[in-house]
Amino acid sequence: MRAKMRIGALIGIAALLAGCGDDNAVDIDTPLAGGDTTVFDASSHAYSMPAPNLDEEGLELHLEGDAQFEAVFVTAPAEVNSGLGPLFNSASCVFCHPRDGRAPAPMQGGPLGSALIRLSLPDDMQNGGAPTPVPGYGGQLNDRAIINSEPEATVAVHYRIVVVKTADGRSYELRVPEPVIQDAYTPLPPEALTSLRMPRPVFGLGLLEAVSEEVILSLADEHDADGDGISGKPNYVTDAATGRLELGRFGWKANQPSLRQQTAAAYHDDMGVTTSLFPRESSYGQLQSDDRTDDPEISDDILDAVTFYIQTLAVPARRNVNDPQVRRGERLFTEAQCSACHVPELRTGVLADVPEVSNQTIYPYTDMLLHDMGPELADGRPDYAANGFEWRTPPLWGVGLSVVVNGHMNLLHDGRARSVEEAILWHGGEAEASREMFKTMTHGDRAALVAFVLSL
Amino acid sequence: MKRYANCNYIRLTALALFLTGAALTIGCGEDDVVPSEGFDASVLTSDYANKIVLATYSELDAKAGVLLAAVQTLASDATDANLTAAQDAWTATRIPWEQSEAFLFGPVDTLGIDPKLDSWPVNRVDLDAVLSSSQALTKETVDSLEETLKGFHTIEYLLFGVGSQKKASELTSREIEYLTAVTESLKGDTAALYTAWDPNGGNFLGEFVNAGMSSRVYVSQKAAVQEIANGMITIADEVANGKISDPYNQEDTTLVESQFSFNSIADFQNNIRGIQNAYLGRYQETGMGLTEFVAEQDSDLDARLKSEIEAAIAAIGAIPPPFRDAISNARPDVQAAIEAVQVVQTTLESGVVPLIESTDIK
Repeated sequence: MRAKMRIGALIGIAALLAGCGDDNAVDIDTPLAGGDTTVFDASSHAYSMPAPNLDEEGLELHLEGDAQFEAVFVTAPAEVNSGLGPLFNSASCVFCHPRDGRAPAPMQGGPLGSALIRLSLPDDMQNGGAPTPVPGYGGQLNDRAIINSEPEATVAVHYRIVVVKTADGRSYELRVPEPVIQDAYTPLPPEALTSLRMPRPVFGLGLLEAVSEEVILSLADEHDADGDGISGKPNYVTDAATGRLELGRFGWKANQPSLRQQTAAAYHDDMGVTTSLFPRESSYGQLQSDDRTDDPEISDDILDAVTFYIQTLAVPARRNVNDPQVRRGERLFTEAQCSACHVPELRTGVLADVPEVSNQTIYPYTDMLLHDMGPELADGRPDYAANGFEWRTPPLWGVGLSVVVNGHMNLLHDGRARSVEEAILWHGGEAEASREMFKTMTHGDRAALVAFVLSL
Repeated sequence: MKRYANCNYIRLTALALFLTGAALTIGCGEDDVVPSEGFDASVLTSDYANKIVLATYSELDAKAGVLLAAVQTLASDATDANLTAAQDAWTATRIPWEQSEAFLFGPVDTLGIDPKLDSWPVNRVDLDAVLSSSQALTKETVDSLEETLKGFHTIEYLLFGVGSQKKASELTSREIEYLTAVTESLKGDTAALYTAWDPNGGNFLGEFVNAGMSSRVYVSQKAAVQEIANGMITIADEVANGKISDPYNQEDTTLVESQFSFNSIADFQNNIRGIQNAYLGRYQETGMGLTEFVAEQDSDLDARLKSEIEAAIAAIGAIPPPFRDAISNARPDVQAAIEAVQVVQTTLESGVVPLIESTDIK
């Protein structure tokens, strides 16, 4: 499935920037993961580079957004970064997206840290609409609060161990997080649906926003018409600015249509910081609500700069692409049908005002669609068209750099996997056949497939 | 922390010019990679990890211990002399911390220690609320609070006060309790940071020096050398385009770092000294630095960068203190300092980083 680079100029860039002949060299028929936004860096900065094709003006806006992404908010009134909470999960963007990457999963018995819990009420009438908020809580559990305000609850996350064996007798101890919600400020309705979530890396997202709806829908096969056991379903979610249903692209269940809305929702839900898009505090109507009239707490300039920052973070190039084990792993990745959902190559269309990410050939390893991942990963919490079993295929680009950037390899929506192997072993539902193939591979083949994923 | 224009920006600009020339395909001949002759990257990574990073963190933890002792003395006897001694100990602890900002990667980041030590602004509304509550003020209490209620700048606020006017007689008993607890918390974090690198502790040092071999973190020695350079670039950018420029451009004293202690100029200088330490391989001991790698291939570039670093430290030192006033009444001096640091940043980005990428580092 290895795609040849199509543009002669890119060959020059790959050869000149990466050099040839050493282990890190980019082979001339190896694709540039992020098109013209690709960078060649395998240090802890690998997710944090501005797209190299930004012009001077673009770079300035990107850097402005970068500073805002790191801004730590404090209790109002304050001279700088005013407006935290009163309820929140995090005081800054970077707390949940350290170095633009992955925060670690909660420790055994520990608090949520950078994780959060989504909430909703079961609703038979929902029919693919927005999740129904839980009275007194909203759509998300805020486990932190400013002083003199009470958090909605505290959470202790415990892990249960499940042993899985591969065909050759190797056993893996997989862990299942079981969050315990305690100290609730008001009783949480027993029927409330909960879903533990880890934040996602934020680099490369402008490219995914630039992929046209037509391209994404061309990969969909909602009723599995081709009979390969793999469907691929688009989510349609409300655009808060227009009220219209739009294709969902971002988040674990593809419940956000755009990076601007995703960003505004994160300020609102995670930090308690209001914007023009979501001008009412997340605690509105609750005991913790204050009567301040300082909304929106950040300007559109800040929201737009942060959105642009996320849109124009570079994608790191692959490493070790000429390693024979990696090449073998790539073949196995295709043979095991991993690439049916983790689609290697996409072409971007035009994203208004962001030419850097427009008209690029990229290698994100996602189809941006929802798939049934089986009962073991199911959260049972629907979100628009995504049912309780379905998750959006997360991109795999840059995943091998997770350890150097963030010091861990906690993967999947709730961070339960501690390695690529564990993440694969959790795949069920539409991916069950692929997982079974992985389990019956020789040890060497499994290692090769993992080596390939780590080279992304 | 990482707000810099990546070298690729400059390289691609050059490339665009290059590609509009003629050759659309470049062969993979031997010319593309410069083999490094006498340079051994494993000595560089080892000396950097041991003699710069670990040594700086050791100094930081030692100075934090002195600060804690000074705060405890102040708590037992709140005299102006003891307050001054605690202020001096705070300033002395800032030196290794600011120098360590030339390597804000690894455990300082992945263990969340940087925000615990150096979050800013101070959440003064919440701090006042904690102080006026009846909550017990212990290290455990402070550990459980938000990061904007702990670390260097909360301690600074309590020790120096707004406008650096604090008198010992103004310290309330609750403030003294909080000060003791928050300094204990800081000392715990500096100890944790040292331990995380210590070969006898978390041994992140081992991950760095074994880059490209047994390291689970660095896939190649080149990645580790990139890390050294990126750390230097990050802080150069932060000082030039954030710490100095933001308050200067907006003429806003509320944006000034270390504004309670009037220690901003020393902070900025120590950031650049951190770059110098990393580049020269010189801190308390001298080892191999990036300078030897650069000099071997481009002695002019090496000489230029060394003098540019010196010039940047001098230009910051030429700003008349306090910095909060200089942004209004000594603007040419501040502007000159910004430009001097930007020169260092540009040389690192467009000179040193391409050299690392184009060299076949073993």
